[in-house]
Amino acid sequence: MTDVTMIVNGQVRGASVPPETTLLQLLRDNFNLTGAKLGCDVGDCGACTVIVDGQAVNSCLMLAGQAEGRQILTIEGLASREWLHPIQTAFENSGALQCGFCGPGVLLSAKALLDENLNPSTQEIRDALSGNLCRCTGYTKMIEAVQDAARLLREESRTQLTHARTEATAP
Amino acid sequence: MKRRGRGIACMWYPIGFTVDANASAATVKVNEDGTATVLTGTVETGQGSLTVLGQIAAEALGIATDDVHVVSADTDTTPMDTGAIASRTTYVTGNAIWLAAEAAKAILFETAAPMLGVKVSQLEARDRKIQVKSFPQRNVSIGEVAHRSQVVLGQPAIGSASWNPPTVAMDPETGQGKPFATYVYATQIAEVDVDDETGEVEILRIAAAHDCGTAINPMLVEGQVEGGISMGVGMALQEEMLFDANGRHINPNLTNYIMPTSLDMPEIAVDIVQGYDPTGPFGAKGVGEPTAVPTAAAILNAIHDAVGVRVTSLPATAEKVLTAIKAKRAAEVKQIPA
Repeated sequence: MTDVTMIVNGQVRGASVPPETTLLQLLRDNFNLTGAKLGCDVGDCGACTVIVDGQAVNSCLMLAGQAEGRQILTIEGLASREWLHPIQTAFENSGALQCGFCGPGVLLSAKALLDENLNPSTQEIRDALSGNLCRCTGYTKMIEAVQDAARLLREESRTQLTHARTEATAP
Repeated sequence: MKRRGRGIACMWYPIGFTVDANASAATVKVNEDGTATVLTGTVETGQGSLTVLGQIAAEALGIATDDVHVVSADTDTTPMDTGAIASRTTYVTGNAIWLAAEAAKAILFETAAPMLGVKVSQLEARDRKIQVKSFPQRNVSIGEVAHRSQVVLGQPAIGSASWNPPTVAMDPETGQGKPFATYVYATQIAEVDVDDETGEVEILRIAAAHDCGTAINPMLVEGQVEGGISMGVGMALQEEMLFDANGRHINPNLTNYIMPTSLDMPEIAVDIVQGYDPTGPFGAKGVGEPTAVPTAAAILNAIHDAVGVRVTSLPATAEKVLTAIKAKRAAEVKQIPA
């Protein structure tokens, strides 16, 4: 058994698991975070995508032990009961998900992109989502939704900047 | 060299089969707070059918879609439905829900008529109220009417209905009949670049014009069309189940059964052609499966327009397109007299 400890959605979580346990199994079976989906289990479909230290990864291809001490964000950490993340709001408003099985992975791939680049081109969005297979939507509305989310997030960061400046210049 | 081509394909698709029983049943219950509960046996698979069914009930009752709670797909408790198949849900289940909502509304109107001092035929349901036609200021809220129906008149506002597109037997001698209740029509146009040295096809744009009667929820119709096109793109260029000599499936996984990713999808322009079918709920027909029908044909026509070859088996992989291009060149060379 291997002892692993990591920060999952802002909380320190630990477990003792067999060394061959994947990060996906750890999240789903030990931490009961079932938002990341088991699709193909070999890194083809992207349904298990989570963010590890800022990078979108297929959690089925990462061992739990490799995530030791790292920061993990799963779909459960993106929204709270009261508040949807702007990416989720944009996806909801444009009907960008249908059956939703690919949704958690797509949303986290989009978040990893927007964390690095708040003004992505269509091609950059297509590249960022290319590891997430979707059988329902044809990706069209997803790409639009990521563009909408980028706009929302840019407005948000501009407002925050203005606030920061106002505070800085206040007597 | 990359060569550009455009192709067009048209289709019709049948909605609501009539060769056999094809029934949907529904119950609509209007609650004392003015909301409504719909019971249906159909199942939501992400296409948004429960939203559309809720919209149909809301429109019939003059309330908001948010006021409608749809309970679906528990076969122990919900009315029978033939299923989320054959692009029939909006059309067949929608009609059942519409009729059930009308039956519930008839009870509300009976209760409201004496409250407002008019005949039932003078009433309409709108903006969460039952009001006198042309005198909307004379009104009473639907919740109040539902409450009165229930606790004063002892006649709760519940409607149940079923709808079955009239079954038409096939003539055993001629083989003729009327196999479907209605039809939808669509045209798609594809623009492609074909590399004549590698046979590789890149789909640049697809324009899709679809008739679905009244588009009850245009955003969801677009979603269905875009999704159908992605399936058509896969069918045209990528997706193929391969079997070995013993009939074993040799690509039963996503590593070598290649389906479209976000990088394979062209720009899509959806044009919803508004129509009205008098047999559908508020004029609606269906949209699900038809969206994938013309795509592959349009793409293969575009390949023909670009490089002048006909690929007659799907998917039109780079290998097949290149083989066809080489065969065409060889044939052209032969035609030159020595």
